[in-house]
Amino acid sequence: MWFYEKKLQYPAKVGRANVKMAKYLITQYGGPDGELAASLRYLTQRYHMPTPQAKGILTDIGTEELAHLEIIATLVYKLMDRASIEEIKQADLGGYYADHDKAVYYVNGSGVPWTAAYIQSKGDPVADLHEDMAAEEKARATYEWLINLSDDPDLNDTLKFLREREIVHFQRFGETLQIVQEHLDAKKYY
Amino acid sequence: MFTPNDQMRLARAYVPFQIFSQRLNPMEGLMKGTIFPELYFPYRRHHK
Amino acid sequence: MDREQLCMLKELMALEFTVLEFHLYLDTHPTDQRALMEYNSFVQQLKVLKQKYQERYGPLSWQEPSSYPWQWIEEPWPWEICYE
Ligand SMILES: [Fe+2]
Repeated sequence: MWFYEKKLQYPAKVGRANVKMAKYLITQYGGPDGELAASLRYLTQRYHMPTPQAKGILTDIGTEELAHLEIIATLVYKLMDRASIEEIKQADLGGYYADHDKAVYYVNGSGVPWTAAYIQSKGDPVADLHEDMAAEEKARATYEWLINLSDDPDLNDTLKFLREREIVHFQRFGETLQIVQEHLDAKKYY
Repeated sequence: MFTPNDQMRLARAYVPFQIFSQRLNPMEGLMKGTIFPELYFPYRRHHK
Repeated sequence: MDREQLCMLKELMALEFTVLEFHLYLDTHPTDQRALMEYNSFVQQLKVLKQKYQERYGPLSWQEPSSYPWQWIEEPWPWEICYE
């Protein structure tokens, strides 16, 4: 089960409201390589992991991704806060506004809603861990493109934190992959 | 180029294990996104 | 949120983050005794600071005592805080 902690993992700041950046950033909320996809992917793959280390790491990283999801929501909320209709129209977010006002919803940067088709749970632990490592690299790249798009040092500070987390997660999944591969080899040959 | 050793097999991915030696202080670790200096790879932004 | 509370909240984030980093490391290195010692020592420090924070500013998690009226719903919520 889970309990909520009434605090963010990182002090997420934005320098100024910026509707355009909110539109780009929301892909890390409900996009293909975003935090929701990451969390739900790891939390559902854990049931078919063969070693205790793998069950642990998928549970714990899946949980940390929920904390990242909350950080992204906070940033989008702050970037959109107090935006005028005029700014929303200029950022080409009129379609989003018609459906959601300024509420935070699970879509990618082009407004396409989140789908479970973004993730896989193959039942093959080696295949799943490869997907997880790729997911971390894709999220890292997304944060780099977002940093390129943003000229707000406060926002970039949080984006850099989230990017570095993807590197640490990649390392942990890589170690887990070695453990799982050795475990499966031992089962095959001895 | 990377040369495989005896324990390594083709058609398989390998990530070296981290061996913990040092850590950053908690606030520095939080600001950097990791407490492990050997895992800290900051992004150098480039304009294309 | 006043300076003092924000400062303490950030200290708390930093300690919790350190605990998380050792936690993930230990998932794949369960027999690293030095990392385990560091983990246990930071868990202890985090407990002390969290206790102190909650006594002053109210509960951060479930299963924590509350004064009257029910403190859990007190604002600001995490996304409403200005972290400057
Ligand atoms: Fe991640």
